[in-house]
Amino acid sequence: MLKLEDIQALIQAIDQSSLDEFIYEHEGSKIKLRKKSNHHEHKKVMTSVSAEPEKYEEVSEREQIKEQENHSSSEKEETIAFDHEILSPMVGTFYHSSTPDSAPFVSLGDKVNEKTVVCIVEAMKLFNEIEADVEGEVVEILAENGELVEYGQPLFRVKTK
Amino acid sequence: MSSTREQLIELLAKQGGSFVSGQWISETLEISRTAVWKQMKQLEKDGYQFEAVPNKGYRIVEVPHKLSANTIQWGLHTKWLGKEIVHHDRISSTQTTAIEYAQEGCDHGTVIVANRQSNGRGRLSRQWYSDNDQGIWLSVVLRPDISPMKAPQLTLVTATVLAEVIEQISQTTPAIKWPNDLLLNNRKLAGILTEMQAEQDKIHYLVIGIGINVNQSYQEMDLSVREIATSLQIETGKTFHQTTFIQLLLECLERRYQQYLDEGFHLIKASWEQYAYKMNKEVTYQTGKAKQKGFIRGIAEDGALLMETESGRIDSLYSAEIDWFSSDPGATVRKTLTSKQQEN
Repeated sequence: MLKLEDIQALIQAIDQSSLDEFIYEHEGSKIKLRKKSNHHEHKKVMTSVSAEPEKYEEVSEREQIKEQENHSSSEKEETIAFDHEILSPMVGTFYHSSTPDSAPFVSLGDKVNEKTVVCIVEAMKLFNEIEADVEGEVVEILAENGELVEYGQPLFRVKTK
Repeated sequence: MSSTREQLIELLAKQGGSFVSGQWISETLEISRTAVWKQMKQLEKDGYQFEAVPNKGYRIVEVPHKLSANTIQWGLHTKWLGKEIVHHDRISSTQTTAIEYAQEGCDHGTVIVANRQSNGRGRLSRQWYSDNDQGIWLSVVLRPDISPMKAPQLTLVTATVLAEVIEQISQTTPAIKWPNDLLLNNRKLAGILTEMQAEQDKIHYLVIGIGINVNQSYQEMDLSVREIATSLQIETGKTFHQTTFIQLLLECLERRYQQYLDEGFHLIKASWEQYAYKMNKEVTYQTGKAKQKGFIRGIAEDGALLMETESGRIDSLYSAEIDWFSSDPGATVRKTLTSKQQEN
């Protein structure tokens, strides 16, 4: 995960380079820097941010840049209503509750914290309780109860602020 | 668990049947003679019997059959599994208690064991009938340093261990219904429930719950499972010493677990497949919403069930609802005689 200083240094380096575009991806975060030849403007898109503390810096950075864009650019970007995805740690069956008769662990709009169990993924009769790992609000549930999920498949989207 | 008591048992156990002086015990354990005597009184409550002879000292004459942390540890040859044992006479569920211990940070290898469970559970909180002291009900806390993706293999490691120990103790050969149910004559003899808490790349803890129907008679089995479950007693007509059973189980589990970590899954796979239920037989199964038929062809290197579909393709199944019994009407016919004859 890049720190604010790193990003600033990157911007500077790219500014002075002959590069037009720079993309950096690491553990679910993506940074894209693009240079426009006529006027020096940087655009940065983040599709998701993991739970490290640095995210606050990056999120504020993103907002800053978005603001800039609103002023200077008409290019549309995907609306980002979430900033954390809970991924499946293994191939298996997704269960939204502990028993078929009980209420789901979480529903849309629920507030979760690091320790909140959001679902169970079962493979070979091993039941893996998945915790949210972040504090925030569940804004999207991407898997259906009983559905077969893949390793790394996003299960929930959480808005952390 | 008092470590002094643990040391005292170990000390006396090492002497076998010979006498050791109270003075020597008190010096070795660095406790007073009175403290030694008090510890022995405690042990007698657990069913140990000591012989005390003036000028000779003490010796163990009987180790209790009664299940306790002490009796399991007495003569348990493991390095780390069961060094910490929590025993209850009656508990809601060893699995629930073990998870609580795990969350509070208990050691790798901690074992929770109960004579009976008021609320024993299987997968998806299904009931596991265990409110009797005729079975083995225990849960083991593990903290393996492996990828969570690989963790499901540990349910197959455990199933293999159960099959091996049951065979060794009862001289009957159980079958493992993928991934981890143990059957004798098509009826459920033992079950395993594995629950884990993990991050994307790190396992916090894994709790393996084991339930084995051992000494229940047919009448003692709960009505609702009488026709689908069985016990070693029902199948062999014999009763088994639970403490010895648990000791063998823990020793074998520690050995196989270590082997799995050191050498990988292939040795487990080979043993597992020898016990595989319905090997090369046709079953109906459902993954997600699709229902189909296929032939069981063993397990893959990662433990997935290999199923040959009707079109001849081999699928790896990680999670599926398998209808093991209805496609073969003969399976419901009981064949207990076979195993009883083996015994006689």
